[in-house]
Amino acid sequence: MLEIKNLHAKVASSVEEEGTEILRGISLTVNPGEVHAIMGPNGSGKSTLSYILSGKDGYEVTEGSVTYNGEDLLDKEADERAAAGIFLAFQYPVEIPGVATMQFLKTALNSQRKARGEDELSTPDLMRLVREKSQMLKVKPEMLKRPVNVGFSGGEKKRVEILQMAVLEPTLCILDETDSGLDIDALRVVAEGVNALRSPDRAMIIITHYQRLLDYIVPDKVHVLSKGKIVNSGGKELALELEKDGYAAYEVDAA
Amino acid sequence: MSIAIAKTPAEEVYADLDNLPDGFDDIRKQAANAVAKSGLPNRRVEEWKWTDLRRIVDQAYPPAIGGDVAAEKLDELSALSPFGNIVGSRIVFVNGVFDETRSQLPKNISISMLASADKVGFSLRDGDVIDALNLAYASDGVIINVAKGVKVEKPVELVFLTAPDQPATITTRNVIRLEEGAELTLLETHAGHNEAYVTNCVTEISIADNATLNRVRLQEDGENAIHLSNTAANLGQEANLRDFTFTIGGQTTRNQGFVTFNGENAALNMSGSYMIAGKQHADTTLVINHAVPACESRELYKCVMDENARGVFQGKVIVARDAQKTDGQQSANALLLSEGAEFDAKPELEIYADDVWCGHGATSGDLDKNQLFYLKARGIPENKAKALLIAAFAAAAFDEIENEDVREAFNELAQGWLQRREV
Repeated sequence: MLEIKNLHAKVASSVEEEGTEILRGISLTVNPGEVHAIMGPNGSGKSTLSYILSGKDGYEVTEGSVTYNGEDLLDKEADERAAAGIFLAFQYPVEIPGVATMQFLKTALNSQRKARGEDELSTPDLMRLVREKSQMLKVKPEMLKRPVNVGFSGGEKKRVEILQMAVLEPTLCILDETDSGLDIDALRVVAEGVNALRSPDRAMIIITHYQRLLDYIVPDKVHVLSKGKIVNSGGKELALELEKDGYAAYEVDAA
Repeated sequence: MSIAIAKTPAEEVYADLDNLPDGFDDIRKQAANAVAKSGLPNRRVEEWKWTDLRRIVDQAYPPAIGGDVAAEKLDELSALSPFGNIVGSRIVFVNGVFDETRSQLPKNISISMLASADKVGFSLRDGDVIDALNLAYASDGVIINVAKGVKVEKPVELVFLTAPDQPATITTRNVIRLEEGAELTLLETHAGHNEAYVTNCVTEISIADNATLNRVRLQEDGENAIHLSNTAANLGQEANLRDFTFTIGGQTTRNQGFVTFNGENAALNMSGSYMIAGKQHADTTLVINHAVPACESRELYKCVMDENARGVFQGKVIVARDAQKTDGQQSANALLLSEGAEFDAKPELEIYADDVWCGHGATSGDLDKNQLFYLKARGIPENKAKALLIAAFAAAAFDEIENEDVREAFNELAQGWLQRREV
């Protein structure tokens, strides 16, 4: 489903400078139904990888390729990638004053449906869908009337990210540090929401610094990212080792 | 040695007493003479430094009244009003003349037309060329009087359609009086064809004690139009004025507002938004006079400029020596969508009292890249995402509008603004 081959990338503004490569040859294959965890220390390139996969401006891919369901992903705009089924749950969800959450969800879902040549959802149908998904994620109906992420607590923001994921039903979910800033109760609600979305046709990439989230969302595979490269891969037990020993060993190895 | 500056063709025409319409002879002559003496203001006049009217009014534009306009054209221009389902009555002017067939007059308020009025008691506002031109050449307009205690339930719409068969100046003057405790919502649509013209519309407002006027204007004049307007208001004790102007059309727009507080504990909210592009130019110049204590004034302008458009905001708040406990806040924010767009803001405070709370702020910026990416990452195409963010920016100003249906209508206009320019 997702195939990343020898991906090298840097920040676009530092074209002239040497040694600013953030990703330095990542290869990764994710199949439908699989949950991959990508772990690594700060500055290892985890968030950059999530931005490059979802199509944020400001990065330049210097080498390698990314294909999604056989199509070149890097050629597509962010909105086209979303319509193709890629969803990024943001580490820092963006506040958008003046745009109500419900209106945002409606515009997003119907834009995607339109891009895929599907019929747009009517407002009552959409309200029903959103209300149903909101209950599971403990998102109160009043929140949907408020502007996107404005005045939401850290936990509320993350729950609304997962709500968006549940409504948009992507095929590849990328969760960027979704556990950051969450207390244990909020973490559990978010993890339950994510687990409810696990299915044989849907893959997930969980990007995290800590093992904690992986107690709740159990991955099939764990990769260690350090200095822009995957330096180790294994099963879920690898996450436990990292929790015990830290990243120090990898940082030395990769240098 | 003094050098006489040659009159421009427009100044020649405006100073020619033979062009004056009938009625109000004395004041018209006085006004035309004032224009003849001062000429049109240029950029060396401080209040006009960013809007050089002498250069902008670039041809004669002789004052005109009426004239035939094709019914289809008028239908097309009328359709620019988004207030159709909101209002209970409508008063339509075509090229400065009341059009009875297109109007549905309100029932429970006193309405008369300027053209058939004999005495209104106008006086000339010193040094104000828009007012002088208007007094000299006003051909018609509505005189509304809402009697003591009458609360008009449904909004009344004023529609000004302008489509003269050659470049001309179309002039209207309205007088809105609210007696004690009265309430009225007035919506205005200004629209015109795409040939060059000048439209000059002045509204005199007086709001007696405890009365409330909500006024919302939409300016959809044609792409070569010069739109000049004045709002001059006097507020009594505990009177309330909410005045909003949404400027989308016109080549050049100058909206002036002069508000004076005459009674304590009155409140003013004068706000607006521009959405302009190409070489459009929109200027709002306000003078808010806190002549008495304990009044509140708020100004909030959210202005969107694309391409080479230029927005101007000049807001002066004067607080008299006795006007203690004045609360005056103004803020002007610009969203600049391109390198060539410009916004000039000049807030001014003239405070003679010592126990007041006054402030002002002006900001300008472009679209937030993180917000844009967030919307795109959810599948919203770039243009749609931009349209959402532009409307969201303006929504903070629309929130100042009392009527929810009007807010909705403006949100829709704002969201469609990018797309309609592509057509």
